Amino acid sequence: MTSPVRTENLSKTYHVRARKGLFKSEKRSVEALKGVSLDVRPGEIFGLLGPNGAGKTTLIKLLTTLLLPTSGMAWVNGYDVSRDENKIRASVGCMLMGERGLYWKLTARENLDYFGALYHLDSVQRKQRTQQIIDLLDMEDIADRMVESYSSGQKMKLAFGKALVNDAPLLVLDEPTNTLDVPSASELRAIVRRLNAEGKTIIYTTHIMTEAETLCERVAIIDRGELLALGTVQELKASLQQENVTHIEGIISSRSAEAVRSLPGILRATRDSLDSKEMLTVVSASGKESLPQIIEALTRSGAVIQKIIPEEMTLEDVFIAKTGRTLAEDTRQANA
Amino acid sequence: MNLRIGISVMLASFRMRLTTISRYRGQLVMDIFIPIVFAYMPILLGRSAGTYAASNFASNTGTENYVGYMLIGSSVFSIVSNAFWHVAYWLRWEQESGTLEILYLAPTHRVWVVAGTALYSCVRGLFSSIAAYLIGSLVMGLNPFQGEFLLALLFILVGLLPLYSLSLLYGAIILKVKEANALVSMMQWGVSFLMGVFFPIAVFPPLLKLVALLFPPTWMTNGVRSALLGVGYFFNAWYLDLAVLWAFILVVPFFGYWVFSRTEISIRKNEGVGQF
Repeated sequence: MTSPVRTENLSKTYHVRARKGLFKSEKRSVEALKGVSLDVRPGEIFGLLGPNGAGKTTLIKLLTTLLLPTSGMAWVNGYDVSRDENKIRASVGCMLMGERGLYWKLTARENLDYFGALYHLDSVQRKQRTQQIIDLLDMEDIADRMVESYSSGQKMKLAFGKALVNDAPLLVLDEPTNTLDVPSASELRAIVRRLNAEGKTIIYTTHIMTEAETLCERVAIIDRGELLALGTVQELKASLQQENVTHIEGIISSRSAEAVRSLPGILRATRDSLDSKEMLTVVSASGKESLPQIIEALTRSGAVIQKIIPEEMTLEDVFIAKTGRTLAEDTRQANA
Repeated sequence: MNLRIGISVMLASFRMRLTTISRYRGQLVMDIFIPIVFAYMPILLGRSAGTYAASNFASNTGTENYVGYMLIGSSVFSIVSNAFWHVAYWLRWEQESGTLEILYLAPTHRVWVVAGTALYSCVRGLFSSIAAYLIGSLVMGLNPFQGEFLLALLFILVGLLPLYSLSLLYGAIILKVKEANALVSMMQWGVSFLMGVFFPIAVFPPLLKLVALLFPPTWMTNGVRSALLGVGYFFNAWYLDLAVLWAFILVVPFFGYWVFSRTEISIRKNEGVGQF
């Protein structure tokens, strides 16, 4: 089966002019993407994770033929991005510009109808497809109102609907939940899951870690134009999870702590008092496998266990480990 | 992409722009009155010049009817100006509003979208210019149907294709330099000057006259004036002047398309069409 997206050493360099005062400027090259090689599997939700300016949008623009690569190769649905632009465009549904990529003086129905014409649907098909999308997104009440009167979230929803016009096997969604409130974002993610279950491959860019974690099967972390990590969320976590941390609350004496420390594979066991309770933090080298021995050692030494809290690694931890920064920090800096 | 699909895209683009402008009705009314007001300024100057203004004017232009001369000039200029605003500025507007990238995401050749926009602009420009000419004639006490009205219309229709090709070429420049308002405004003054909106280009020095003659709207304006007022064709025969406009059709659209395509590739190689 043809891979929906494959890139080999894909690079993009922009030539920009840096202003030097009123009349002077200097030509500069900015490497937005540096030799990215990846493969998206058919039927998966593939997450592209990275802060603003990481190169996610550049990668998407290259894959959707809006840009030409400086070097390297890329194929979308088996077509070469440098040669088969119209075949790629016909086989990809894309949400790129968020609420900006709409005609605000037209209604949602008129927008979808026009986009349908651009994707070569005849008038009967356009009417049907427009109605299907309006129903799917539950927009019937506002479908005949001009887009300029919509809330930001409603515009985002319509921009998402625009990506569905050509019913393409590959959907590319660039931060589709931006500006959506919590219920609307969750509703949109449910639609994304549904479309994926119907067989669509989805490339989903986001800077919201939990979103990528709950939605995507595989995730690529991109930063400063480089692909830093690629794998399933579990694989990425496992790649870092050399030490396992477990917090145990209860009545734990120093003798019990010592008993845990003497177990094989235990690196550290620190006893702390917290609100009149004792807390033992155990760091083991053998993952969660050592937990039964820890419990046994504690009960045998007279400890009373009230709560066991295993410390879960998140995608955010993976991101920090790979980039050395938090995503929130980066996004804040970019927005400042 | 076959012709049927291309025409369907063109009509969708045409319909979309008509729908959009239908939500700015005041603009449509202004389209009709602007050429009349534009012509009125030199007409009032002529009237203030006294009794000999018409005969002096005739010695350089071949007609004493300076009122009709100005009104025709401003009405044709309105078509030319619309072409530049509606095509060249439209590209910039799509770029700024974020919809230009959306057009480039679709498997449609841009030439059909541009053709739809040009068709819309032609309909709007022709309607407002003819309405301005008829209302202006009524207000200024002229017979709008003097001379050969259909021949005048033919000069305009034949001139439209090279005119819109020029505006596409200008659109390419705007996409590249990412500036529209100043460029289109500057161009409007240049165009009105070169096409002789209120004066015959016969008064130009030879080099400037040559530049003006390389500009299709100059032939459109003179053709319409000659057909309606009898000011005289450049080659002394209507069919020869019309042939020059046809010759422009053979050259300008291909040149405009070539420049536009080259610009598109150059932009895609660097920052992309959405970057503004």
